[in-house]
Amino acid sequence: MTTTDNSGDVRLSGISKTYDNGFTAVRPLDLTVPQGSFFALLGASGCGKTTTLRMIAGLEEPTTGAVHLGDQEVTNLPPYKRPVNTVFQSYALFPHLDIFENVAFGLRRRGIKSVKKQVEDMLELVQLGEQARKKPHQLSGGQQQRVAVARALINHPKVLLLDEPLGALDLKLRRQMQLELKRIQTEVGITFIHVTHDQEEAMTMADTVAVMNAGTVEQLGSPADLYENPQTTFVANFLGTSNLIEAEVDTKSGDDIVLRAGGGKLVLPEARCSAPTTAGGKVLVGVRPEKISLTHADDAGEIAEGRNRITGRIADSSFIGVSTQYVIDSPVCPEFEVYAQNIDRDARLVPGAEVVLHWNPAHTFGLDAAQDIDAGVAEVEEDAA
Amino acid sequence: MEQYEPDRLSPVVAAAMRRSLRNGRAAMTRRSLMRASAGGALALGGLATLSGCGIPAAGKTTGGVSADDHSAKEKVVNFSNWPEYIDVDDSEKHHPTLDAFRKRTGISVKYTEDINDNDEFFGKIQPQLAAGQDTGRDLIVLTDWLAARMIRLGYVQKLDSSNLPHAYANLSEQFRSPDWDPGRAYSYVWQGISTVIAYNKKALDGVEVKSISDLLDNPKLKGRVGFLTEMRDSVGMTMLDMGKDPGKFTADDYDAVIARLQKAVDKGQIRRFTGNDYTSDLTKGDFAACVAWGGDIVQLQADNPDVGYVIPDSGYMTSTDNMLIPNKARHKTNAERLIDYYYELEPAAELAAYINYVSPVAGVVPYLAKIDKSAAKNPLIVPDKAMQAKSHAFRSLSAKEETAFQQKFAKLTGA
Amino acid sequence: MAAVTEAPPPLAPTAPEKKPPRKRGRMVPYWLLLPGILWLIVFFALPMIYQASTSVQTGSLEQGYKVTWHFATYWDALSEYWPQFLRSVLYAGAATVLCLLLGYPLAYLIAFRAGRWRNLIMILVIAPFFTSFLIRTLAWKTILADNGPVVHTLNSLHILDLTSWIGWTAGDRVLATPLAVVCGLTYNFLPFMILPLYTSLERIDGRLHEAAGDLYAKPFTTFRKVTFPLSMPGVVSGTLLTFIPAAGDYVNADLLGSTDTRMVGNVIQTQFLRILDYPTAAALSFILMAAILIMVTFYIRRSGTEDLV
Repeated sequence: MTTTDNSGDVRLSGISKTYDNGFTAVRPLDLTVPQGSFFALLGASGCGKTTTLRMIAGLEEPTTGAVHLGDQEVTNLPPYKRPVNTVFQSYALFPHLDIFENVAFGLRRRGIKSVKKQVEDMLELVQLGEQARKKPHQLSGGQQQRVAVARALINHPKVLLLDEPLGALDLKLRRQMQLELKRIQTEVGITFIHVTHDQEEAMTMADTVAVMNAGTVEQLGSPADLYENPQTTFVANFLGTSNLIEAEVDTKSGDDIVLRAGGGKLVLPEARCSAPTTAGGKVLVGVRPEKISLTHADDAGEIAEGRNRITGRIADSSFIGVSTQYVIDSPVCPEFEVYAQNIDRDARLVPGAEVVLHWNPAHTFGLDAAQDIDAGVAEVEEDAA
Repeated sequence: MEQYEPDRLSPVVAAAMRRSLRNGRAAMTRRSLMRASAGGALALGGLATLSGCGIPAAGKTTGGVSADDHSAKEKVVNFSNWPEYIDVDDSEKHHPTLDAFRKRTGISVKYTEDINDNDEFFGKIQPQLAAGQDTGRDLIVLTDWLAARMIRLGYVQKLDSSNLPHAYANLSEQFRSPDWDPGRAYSYVWQGISTVIAYNKKALDGVEVKSISDLLDNPKLKGRVGFLTEMRDSVGMTMLDMGKDPGKFTADDYDAVIARLQKAVDKGQIRRFTGNDYTSDLTKGDFAACVAWGGDIVQLQADNPDVGYVIPDSGYMTSTDNMLIPNKARHKTNAERLIDYYYELEPAAELAAYINYVSPVAGVVPYLAKIDKSAAKNPLIVPDKAMQAKSHAFRSLSAKEETAFQQKFAKLTGA
Repeated sequence: MAAVTEAPPPLAPTAPEKKPPRKRGRMVPYWLLLPGILWLIVFFALPMIYQASTSVQTGSLEQGYKVTWHFATYWDALSEYWPQFLRSVLYAGAATVLCLLLGYPLAYLIAFRAGRWRNLIMILVIAPFFTSFLIRTLAWKTILADNGPVVHTLNSLHILDLTSWIGWTAGDRVLATPLAVVCGLTYNFLPFMILPLYTSLERIDGRLHEAAGDLYAKPFTTFRKVTFPLSMPGVVSGTLLTFIPAAGDYVNADLLGSTDTRMVGNVIQTQFLRILDYPTAAALSFILMAAILIMVTFYIRRSGTEDLV
């Protein structure tokens, strides 16, 4: 894991895929996944993430561009010549072979005679030692998933590709398997490229996440970076929830930009703004719901100086245990979401109450106003359904 | 279980034939195709339904059983015949001779082409006749050996000669008194069938064929000779060649014929035994020479100038298809009037001109010549005196002989 | 039978009001089975019984046939006609193997490679069924005619010398030889092989091929280790659907064969229709049925596809 070997690097250069029917699944794309990392391709269905993965595996031929594994170009190699293995969506276990033979399949194809020890060790690793002689259909979904992982990992690939590996599992099992996969990855130190539409899954497991939308990578970074500092409305909306306000650039003061929104003024650190800021220009101002504090209008005077403020009326509130989620009707934004920790609950904060929302300007981010303000929202709802 | 049945098949075949053959003379070829192909009919499927728990004996009631004759009141006659075995007009819907009969007598003929195969048809009506029931048919056409069996079993009615003046007067001499129905008490001939030797000039390539011996012995014809699966035709022709009379032979004679044929089979001289599908073997030249039905040859010659035929000096076989009135038929008199009608010279000529088998009606020639000159001169349709002299019929067989002989012949043809 | 005898009793007027509906509900499946069962009884069971009874009768058409438990008919039939039985098995077996060799690639092509041509090719496979079995078989007399191009080609390639040497053809011809009969059988039953093969190939998840490739299997290895084993149900049902009717067929032997190619179907036909020896015909049918049943059972056991089928 601490090796400086870069043979597990995956380099995609200018890679794209257009199908015969004219549909472009992936637009020219450059991406480097460093050796040993846990890399997630995140996006809604149809965004091109699976196609990208399949081009790495060799199951799909790129229309343009090249794929490198380390220093070796593999663009034109058939799948069976690539040092890459895949965990398929819904596993694709061989139904006519038992678990042992499924796992041994890759070894046998490479002409390795004595597979017993290796297979048994691998089955131990995924805790399926007892099931070796069962057929795939006799196992539960979680067990099948582990067989799929074992079947791929036993070959010690340079890169392990996982295509929605947890999609068929129920929520609880999914959580458990996420940790399991993470553990295995840490143990074996192989580069994992994980395709998922589940942003939470991507964020818990991956070191680096690439958010894909309509065949392009919208933003690449660590989970925290993506969350705290989204560069596009799509990322802001797709990863968690964001409140986006249309604002006008007023003045600049030092490292901060002062914006006008509704009647009030908001402060945005210039470093956290991905959009060009000329005076009088439009900017989308964003803030995450959990960064916001809620104060009853009667206590507005107690709010500290220097915080961004917005006034509004509570339209709706729902109690969900650790927090309460409020929907605020504000002049600058009709549905402003606020998550408040249930520490000292103010009994006056009920629907209809006039409130002031305020937050640390450091949590504000700015986006280019030329984009669709709702990009990424629909996809999240769709996938949640 | 079975892939085809004659009932389902026949319209297809008939249609195919209709398409491929343009003139009306196709009829006879069609008729014999039916006979042969349906010979390839159903063993397994039919077997189950026919083989009951203890099959009752075929009742032997001499003279046949008549039902009350409803002829006077019901002016119909139900006539079952082979497909494509009667004249049709251009629309292929009407039968001019039957229409004329109705016009004259007021009796309408319900004409059904439901006999595809002698054996199979016998299997179909046998249970009803054995049980003494009406088959729903007043007139049926069967080949002589089956007609003989029907008479032997008492399944058919004696004809009333007073209703058959033309038939009595005009029946050709050669058909007058078969040993199985002396004096034609039960049956009258619908058409005669000559069995001859046919050849393909091109395939013969100069080899001369004049007799069955040539077929069986000439090494130049090895593997290019065909015989018929119809036992009486193949055995009869060979028997004549060996100088025996098929009209009165012994079991030893029969065995000798089988032995002679067996030798030819063993040395590969005989390519195969066929039903009517020999016609394609012959025209393609797969058969250089074969035993064939005269009626087919008329048609084949029209299409293929290479096809010719020989009447061996030792003689040739003639068989007949015969009209019979089954027991319990409701319209016996009407049926007899229809039989008689086809022995009038004009209808007989019309029929002969259309189907080209041997007409059983003496004196038909001038009338036939009016319709079709070449047909009237063709000895295969109207045998001349010299030819008639060479004609032989196969003698009738007892039930025991029938089984034994068929068994031996089956073994010869591969069982 | 069970359903017939277990039919619910007519509702007595004194029967308690609550129970009958539930009881009737439970009987519904049996009532629905009734037409099927009646069908089986009338068209399968009864004929079988008649046939079994016929096979142990003796007599003649004139005297009538009586059940005399004359089992010797079976032995006589078998000892007399074993060559034809053997031939049936041999020809049907050869035709089945040929069907598999020809049908598998075609079914594979249709299932995986045909794309939008799939339906068209399927129709082409089934199209011969639109004409009569007899006509289709007769067509082979033209194809294999002595002076036809096929026989000429085979002759000039000296293939017929080889087949003559092993006794499948005679001299320079194909017609009226075992080879012609096997060709006819192969052609006529090929769709029975292709359709089940296609169905089971088409059902194979395409991702299994990808998974095999991903796990270092070359295309042919993928076929050998994944595709073929998974298509075994199709192979088994295809071979059965081909072999069984081919073993009982008599049309091909009749039209394309000669005296030394007659199969057991021809014997049954002759015995039944020409010689009118109904007991022997029935006994032969039963022997054929039993032989096929035994072979099929053995075959299914051996191929070990019970859980896949």
